[in-house]
Amino acid sequence: MSAAEQNRAAVATPQPGAATRTIRVRLKVEQVSFAYSPTDRFAPTFTLGPASFEAHPHELVAILGPNASGKSTLLRLLAGLAKPLAGRVEVDGEEVGSLDLRTRAKRIALVQQESELLFPLRVWEYVLQGRYPHGRRLRFESDNDCLMVGNSLGQVGAEALRDRWMHELSGGEKQRVILARALTQQPSLLLLDEPTQHLDIGGKVELLQRLRRLADETRHTVLVVTHELDLAAEFSDRIVLLHKGKCLRVGTPAQVYERELLEEVFAAPLEVEMRPGGRPRVVLRGDR
Amino acid sequence: MQLALSAGAPASSAPLQPVREGGRQAGSGGVVTDEVGRQVAIPREVNRIVTLAPDLTETIYALGLEDKLAGDTNYCETPPAAKRKPHIGAPLNPSLEAIVALHPDLVLASTSINRRETVDALARLGIAVYASNPHTVSGMLESVRRMSELMGASAKGEALVVPLQARLDVLRMRLGELPLVHVLFVVWQEPLISIGQRTFIADALRWAGAESVVLSDQNWPRISFEEVVRLQPDYIVFTSNHTADAATQLADLRARAGWKGLRAVELGQVAVVSDEVARPSPGMIDAIEQLAREVHREAFSLRSANGGFDSERGGRSPRLVAAKEGCVSCAH
Amino acid sequence: MRPLTPARVLGVCAQLFGVLFVLVVISLRMGAYPIGVRDIVVTLFNGALGRAEQIPMEFSLVVFGLRLPRIALGILVGAALSTAGAGFQALLRNPLADPYVLGVSSGAALGAIVSLIVLPFTPGAVQVAAFAGAAATIGAVYFLGRRGRQLDSATLLLAGIVTASFLSAVIMFLMTILSSRDLRGMAFWLMGDLSSAPAVDLRLLYLVLIVAAGSIYTTSSDLNLILTGEQEARHLGVNVNRVKFVVYVGASLLTGLAVSVSGAIGYVGLLVPHVMRMLFGTDYRLLIPASAIGGAIIVVAADLLARTIVAPTELPVGAMTAIAGAPVFIYLMRRRVR
Repeated sequence: MSAAEQNRAAVATPQPGAATRTIRVRLKVEQVSFAYSPTDRFAPTFTLGPASFEAHPHELVAILGPNASGKSTLLRLLAGLAKPLAGRVEVDGEEVGSLDLRTRAKRIALVQQESELLFPLRVWEYVLQGRYPHGRRLRFESDNDCLMVGNSLGQVGAEALRDRWMHELSGGEKQRVILARALTQQPSLLLLDEPTQHLDIGGKVELLQRLRRLADETRHTVLVVTHELDLAAEFSDRIVLLHKGKCLRVGTPAQVYERELLEEVFAAPLEVEMRPGGRPRVVLRGDR
Repeated sequence: MQLALSAGAPASSAPLQPVREGGRQAGSGGVVTDEVGRQVAIPREVNRIVTLAPDLTETIYALGLEDKLAGDTNYCETPPAAKRKPHIGAPLNPSLEAIVALHPDLVLASTSINRRETVDALARLGIAVYASNPHTVSGMLESVRRMSELMGASAKGEALVVPLQARLDVLRMRLGELPLVHVLFVVWQEPLISIGQRTFIADALRWAGAESVVLSDQNWPRISFEEVVRLQPDYIVFTSNHTADAATQLADLRARAGWKGLRAVELGQVAVVSDEVARPSPGMIDAIEQLAREVHREAFSLRSANGGFDSERGGRSPRLVAAKEGCVSCAH
Repeated sequence: MRPLTPARVLGVCAQLFGVLFVLVVISLRMGAYPIGVRDIVVTLFNGALGRAEQIPMEFSLVVFGLRLPRIALGILVGAALSTAGAGFQALLRNPLADPYVLGVSSGAALGAIVSLIVLPFTPGAVQVAAFAGAAATIGAVYFLGRRGRQLDSATLLLAGIVTASFLSAVIMFLMTILSSRDLRGMAFWLMGDLSSAPAVDLRLLYLVLIVAAGSIYTTSSDLNLILTGEQEARHLGVNVNRVKFVVYVGASLLTGLAVSVSGAIGYVGLLVPHVMRMLFGTDYRLLIPASAIGGAIIVVAADLLARTIVAPTELPVGAMTAIAGAPVFIYLMRRRVR
């Protein structure tokens, strides 16, 4: 058996002592698979799965893989934006596909990259929109809603931006505000798709630290789609490794980061170093 | 508030203004059918008239009823006295309020220029509106006669129409069996627009012994110059609101490429006729005669009395002599 | 941080209604027929109390037969066009959208022309045919504007523009081959004109206005979110497809209504929402009622000018809105660039 085949057969091994703890399962992904075809008549051009993993409150999970490995597709399935071909996605015990739109928005917040605003909007107005799932169809916000906005802005360190215009913010500021809006939804699950894409290293670290803090201090579960090996290793509790639509391994960074596996997945000469504290570090192998 | 929201006129019960008497119930003037098929209740006494079209204003003056004319449009200029009457706006979009303010007994409209919406709106307000719809010259005379009856001036109507009809009959006799002159009637030069066979003007032309060379059912057909060259009309006719006089117009055409090569231009057969020919009003008869005199000069020259010249054209002298004797207006 | 409250919405509406009321009063007073304020008030009073007999006939004619219906029509058309404009600007994610961009007015014009040819002497046929043309266009553009089973903003805009162009070409063709007598009224219709009374009872038209505008209003929270991004709105729980459908049908219906009775009055649907945004902000929960009343104000004012400026000649109201609208548009454009 090749190393790859061995890896494909690997499953998440539970943490020592996990069997004695009762951990609430926030997100349960069971044998979820998906197939994409451009039209009905053509055979699927891309398939994902089957993938299975779990996530718990206070966890930061990284969905890791190179480009076109199916990370975004998996995220969409988790968010309920697409129906899986087989399998289930459950959040807090309820299947995501069976929820109506507003309830789903109360459980899951998907943090987008920034988008064009058509008309000028103040930051607090933007963040206040996150309360939408919590009211009736045509509603006016309450004082409680405004309180939530203050909280969210505080959690992302953006209280000072409250009365600014959205179009006057810098890229980093805008991202924090977008995150604040997601937090205002009071979700169980926070999903982010490649949030570090346009940031420099300082920005990346700052964002991940913030996410880490959110996971630790609040009851959120954070799922981050990324291809940044170092960041995933440093900040996540659990990693789901995807390659060409296949879920190769699920586990802690230490469990997932094996040199041969990573080299095969990322097609780059890599070296894995284990640091004190149990978190691995990945470096480029400089020989050749 | 029923009254405000429905566009109908309120039910009448307070007989304060004359206009109401004819409004809904049939006055003893009777209910007549106007020329577009509408039922109109005419008041017994028609003392205040409003006209919505210049040709109708002209008719009123021609009938000698100008004292009853309470108001006309901004564009009513013939005769000049009409300009001094109170105005109610443009024919296409008159002010309904201004019309109401004049307390008319009868409003006259013409399909030649007014809109159906205007007529309907006035009717809804309970105002008697008579719409004339002249298609031919004879029809116009009949319309004048009818309108004069409505206004209680039948005698004046007859006094106007009968001589006009007689002039037309005389003209027809004089022209006799002369072949129709082929005419290009120019409504607009660039782009070149002429008249269709079903227009009022085409009918007027026929009375003048002419025929439009443009065979079209459209009212104002646009034709290409090539078509004109192919048709080679005998005469080219303009109306006087475009040009000063025939000599100037001819000189202009002689200087233009293309036009100067036309047979009509080479022969100097360019006529300018009063723009009355385009308006369905009594003055049109003058214009018809004027045009006939232009394009059938031979028929009107003194030599025709001898019959000598006419034998070329196949006319018969006895008829022409009779025509000359009976004709009052061709003294010149 | 002061979020929008129902109190503020009502407050702004009350202010705008106040302006409208004053304008209506002035408009009732002005006109070619000489009638004083006192007489107008007495006439209105007696009319309201049902004492029709006590009103001099001509006063009743002028106030209830001419001025009040025209003002009521102006309010209807102004409110309908502005609400539709605000709705389309959100639906198409385009600040330059006006109610006519999806071809509704061209369809109505075609219906009107056809009715002038086929039934030239039937009163009211033009309006009914115009509405039928508008409805047909709404349906056609809807089906052309779908991608998969959803209304896609970009596709919708393209479908609308193409349809409008095509219909305009057909209209031009018809206008050149037909006689001028048939089409005399079209010039006024195309410019927008309030002088023709509606073929259908005004109360029914108001009912349609309230239902259609009301439906759009119920989606105003959703529209606020959609304006920050359709995907984002979906993630927040907005049923984007349903909202788009409701707004499309509602706004198109309002446009068809307005155009059928008064022709294509321009600039109102485009500019009033922008002006209201500048004054009161972009929140659609306030913008929609503000635009509706604002539109009513503009059209009544424009019509007042149109029928008094060169009295007794009456200009079509669309000419007035165009003359005033273009400079306002330029001013707004320059402010945006800032």
